[in-house]
Amino acid sequence: MTAALIDASPKRKGSTSSILLGKLRKLCPPEIRTEEAALHTSDVPAGVKETLQSAGVWVIACPLYVDSVPSHLLSCLMELEPLGPEHPGRTVYAIVNCGFYEGEQAALALKILENWCAKAGFVWGGGLGMGGGGAIPTLAATEKGPMVPICRALAGLGERIARGEGGENQYCTVAFPRFLYRLAGQMGWRQGIRQNGGRAKDLGRQPEGEA
Amino acid sequence: MKLIITDLLELPFQVEGEYRVIQPREPIASCVGCFGCWIKTPGRCVLPDSYRDTGILMGKTKQLLIVSRCCYGCVSPFVKAVQDRAISYVHPDFILREGRMHHKRRYQNRIAISAWFYGEDVTEAEKETARNLIQANNENYGGRVAEVLFFDTPEQMGGMTL
Repeated sequence: MTAALIDASPKRKGSTSSILLGKLRKLCPPEIRTEEAALHTSDVPAGVKETLQSAGVWVIACPLYVDSVPSHLLSCLMELEPLGPEHPGRTVYAIVNCGFYEGEQAALALKILENWCAKAGFVWGGGLGMGGGGAIPTLAATEKGPMVPICRALAGLGERIARGEGGENQYCTVAFPRFLYRLAGQMGWRQGIRQNGGRAKDLGRQPEGEA
Repeated sequence: MKLIITDLLELPFQVEGEYRVIQPREPIASCVGCFGCWIKTPGRCVLPDSYRDTGILMGKTKQLLIVSRCCYGCVSPFVKAVQDRAISYVHPDFILREGRMHHKRRYQNRIAISAWFYGEDVTEAEKETARNLIQANNENYGGRVAEVLFFDTPEQMGGMTL
């Protein structure tokens, strides 16, 4: 069985989506052959379409943007919709990570992907909603500690794919207290604005703009 | 000021009072997830096009109307791109609302958000998703949902007044 692991983050390097797909590849049972594919922009490159057409399973990984999938991925989904009838039975799984702590906040993005499957004629295999996505790049090297629930969910997804099973969506988050995650995030914003020559209070600036 | 975000080039309904429309007059770049609108140019998207000030406009409105094709229970790619490019409407810091993490307010206005979706083949599942999506948007913007309506075609909005 060939599974196309589709990195649908707009970031070309170092995204949480790419890290999660890398871990899924490592944790997948050996009978699954994986192919890499990337959807970083609003168009589906011809080479990517070929890769996708040859795979019986697709796993789409993306970040949560404004309660849903990113706009560029939505464009790609519309472009890929006509491929549904060409390969009846193709199963689609998804991994949506969000910067909020609660993985459940990815539920609507997963539902939108499920609706897309229904419209295109793909089989919806279920998805993972993962919270604490902002911490995952700093924990990319490990599968222990705070990453245990994330890696356990990814391993479970790999087993589902190997068995060709669908299932309910599952939600998890990094094993890290929410108040510390929040604190670390807010320290990160302050560090980021200082690196760009600003001050912490500038984070709340209300520009007049040209609007 | 009322703010309308739509994928239509012509509004098929009447609007009373002062309003601004964001529509696909020129191509829009997708958000690249750089967070520049929070840590480089707070309040404004760093991508240099005419859509970069949407977050500022949202800070000035009390009434937001989304008019969009319904795509799998989501808004259309154009409208979604505008929304993605406008996360600077909120502050990057986190707060908890009803036990869930959200972003703090940057502005003090409370937006009444409405959505008029169109599309002839919208399923019941997609309608339910769309209603839940607008409610989720509302929870993140910290406003209230005014109405979510569905039309087969934009022309059916002809009798409506905002």
